[in-house]
Amino acid sequence: MATQSDILVLVSNALAGRAGAAEGDVAAIRVAGGGHRTATVWRPDLLVASEQSLPKGDTFDTVMAGGVATTARLVGRDPGTNVALLRLAQPSALGISGNGMTQTGALASAFGADGNGGVTARLGAVNYIGPQWHSRGGGKISARILLDVRLSPWEEGGPVIGAGGDRIGISTFGPRGRVLAIPAETIESVVAVLLQHGRVARGWLGAAFRPVAVPDALQAQTGQAVGLIVLSVAAGGPAAKSGVMPGDILLAVDKTPAMRVRQVIPRLDADSVGKAVNLDILRGGALVTIQAVVEARPVT
Amino acid sequence: MKAAPVSFARDGPLRVFVADEDSARRATLSEIIVRAGHELVSSKGDADVVFSATTGSRSQYQMVANGGEDSERSGVLDLDARIDQIDAALRAVAAGLVVRMPQVAEIGFRAIDEVDTDELMTPRELDVLNAIGEGLTNKAIARRLEISLHTVKFHIESIFRKLGVRTRTAAIAKASRLHRTQTLEL
Repeated sequence: MATQSDILVLVSNALAGRAGAAEGDVAAIRVAGGGHRTATVWRPDLLVASEQSLPKGDTFDTVMAGGVATTARLVGRDPGTNVALLRLAQPSALGISGNGMTQTGALASAFGADGNGGVTARLGAVNYIGPQWHSRGGGKISARILLDVRLSPWEEGGPVIGAGGDRIGISTFGPRGRVLAIPAETIESVVAVLLQHGRVARGWLGAAFRPVAVPDALQAQTGQAVGLIVLSVAAGGPAAKSGVMPGDILLAVDKTPAMRVRQVIPRLDADSVGKAVNLDILRGGALVTIQAVVEARPVT
Repeated sequence: MKAAPVSFARDGPLRVFVADEDSARRATLSEIIVRAGHELVSSKGDADVVFSATTGSRSQYQMVANGGEDSERSGVLDLDARIDQIDAALRAVAAGLVVRMPQVAEIGFRAIDEVDTDELMTPRELDVLNAIGEGLTNKAIARRLEISLHTVKFHIESIFRKLGVRTRTAAIAKASRLHRTQTLEL
């Protein structure tokens, strides 16, 4: 009969076995200053890294399993889903985990690259799984997966693997250091678009906003308590071309109230490029409607 | 006779070496050091603090006390840090302390926040808040915005209430964090 300590040894060895197998799933991308970032070997010749952690650059020195050095060339970046895609000069010959799903409460291992061809390991529960959500960058993520793990800064971008050995997604820092997983399903769709186009098209108005309270005196006139004040307008962008100015208060986009940012941002998806939108604006105490033509968001 | 207490007063400028191979970037960084009230030196060995900026998608200012290791990165500030913050950070780093922006990890990869309507300021209040952040006195704010001193104080009261603070310093600190997290580019 298995004693309690036997079971623990079994579990621990199994987890260690997972970590060993994960060596083929991670790569270290060297960055200036001698450090590195973790990337996940998504396909034998493709790496996926956390876009927010990857410095600007075209080609990066990379360390693969066993310390094998090669280079990786940037294919494209999508801040909307935090995916950066790179192509390896030398494809990996090791096995890669397949994609899978998970559930709240299930075990998840988050692996990172140690910089010398080995892995680092973190273990925790899947803390929460929520429905589809939109990031501030305008990307659509198929599920909100929160993990009960801590990560070191260089571990972000590594694979999150379930107990069965399936790849749940890529680890990512959310607000206040919380750790999320970008689901494998989302990564697959973004990878497909980046491979084809080198970028993910998003609608762009070309202005920076922040939420403001509509001055009391004007709330009755506008019927709204909240607007988005224009902080700056990108030169030559759709807002600039249509005459939007800093200080204007955006009240609605095609009648969707500006305060419902969660509804406004999805309207600026890839399909919106080339379409005209009506911007209801408060300028100097008067209501004005301006039409702007959405353009594709420029690559930074 | 009792000895007078020794006080340490470092009011003078620090000697700062700007480390950057790119001459245009070096010029920009050097200008910042001068505006912060410090002295530029041309050799790392003569410096109290070494100042540089990281490149990459999240650039930041970095400062290290001379003699400290590069990897310690004693002081890290965001590029939108104010001059008085850079001055304070240089001095703190020279004194052997570690300086970070508040809650640097707070941004991360985030969802679209719904707007918390109670905390929102009116455009006028934002003008006053920006002016406070620049260090203007109430009188100077009144002059700049062409409103009465009484109105300025009225706005400040409302700003403090909405931010949940009681001092100007706290207002500036909270406002700069809110600015980072609330700014949306569409």
